Amino acid sequence: MVVMRRGFRREIDALDEIFRFLEDFVDETAIDDRAAFTVKLVVEELFTNMVRHNTGGGDVIDLTIDRTGDEILLELIDSDVEPFDPTGVPAAPVTKEIGERRPGGLGLHIVKTMVDDLDYRYEPGTRRMRVSVTKRLEP
Amino acid sequence: MFEIKRSDDGTVHLDGRFDAAQVAAAKEVFALIDDSCVVDFAGLSYISSAGLGLLFATQKRLVDREMALTLTNLNPHIREVFRIAGFDNIFTIDE
Repeated sequence: MVVMRRGFRREIDALDEIFRFLEDFVDETAIDDRAAFTVKLVVEELFTNMVRHNTGGGDVIDLTIDRTGDEILLELIDSDVEPFDPTGVPAAPVTKEIGERRPGGLGLHIVKTMVDDLDYRYEPGTRRMRVSVTKRLEP
Repeated sequence: MFEIKRSDDGTVHLDGRFDAAQVAAAKEVFALIDDSCVVDFAGLSYISSAGLGLLFATQKRLVDREMALTLTNLNPHIREVFRIAGFDNIFTIDE
């Protein structure tokens, strides 16, 4: 079991630090390239989503990543924010032709497709939102 | 690290990790594309929805003028993300 936790500045420019943190996790757990790609993509999409939508939130977004057996669990916690449920965002119209499509909405669609479980919780008292992801590793 | 450059034959070369923090730099290059061209992903290890959005916006602008981007040398992970995004309908992707 490997668990790593760190807080990151609420800025898109924090992505460099986040990727270094995730590289350390990949090295520590020796997960394969495909799983490593998925972990990075999911964290980036959920983190940037929080930075963009939860304006006025706390200075730091907390990231925890845990490998236990054949599962990776990811959790992002954002504080002092209004509720925003990423699991309730309508599906992106990915089967439409270019003329009928608009940019946007792809990030959460990709996350939902690549992971096994996406869970959202909001605590009104503390104004804290938590997004948790489960990704099962291939044998 | 992320690099984007355009060679003399018009090909756009992407290199490194194309995440949301790199979109501003990439936007400057894509904004100057005004004809059909190839985008070479040979050096690219990673892309997120931020990069996909910029490629999509560029393609939409070009298609409106009957031109298009052709994408080549996508690694298997990036290729999978393009499939999930439904970009097989949007781009010609050289396999």
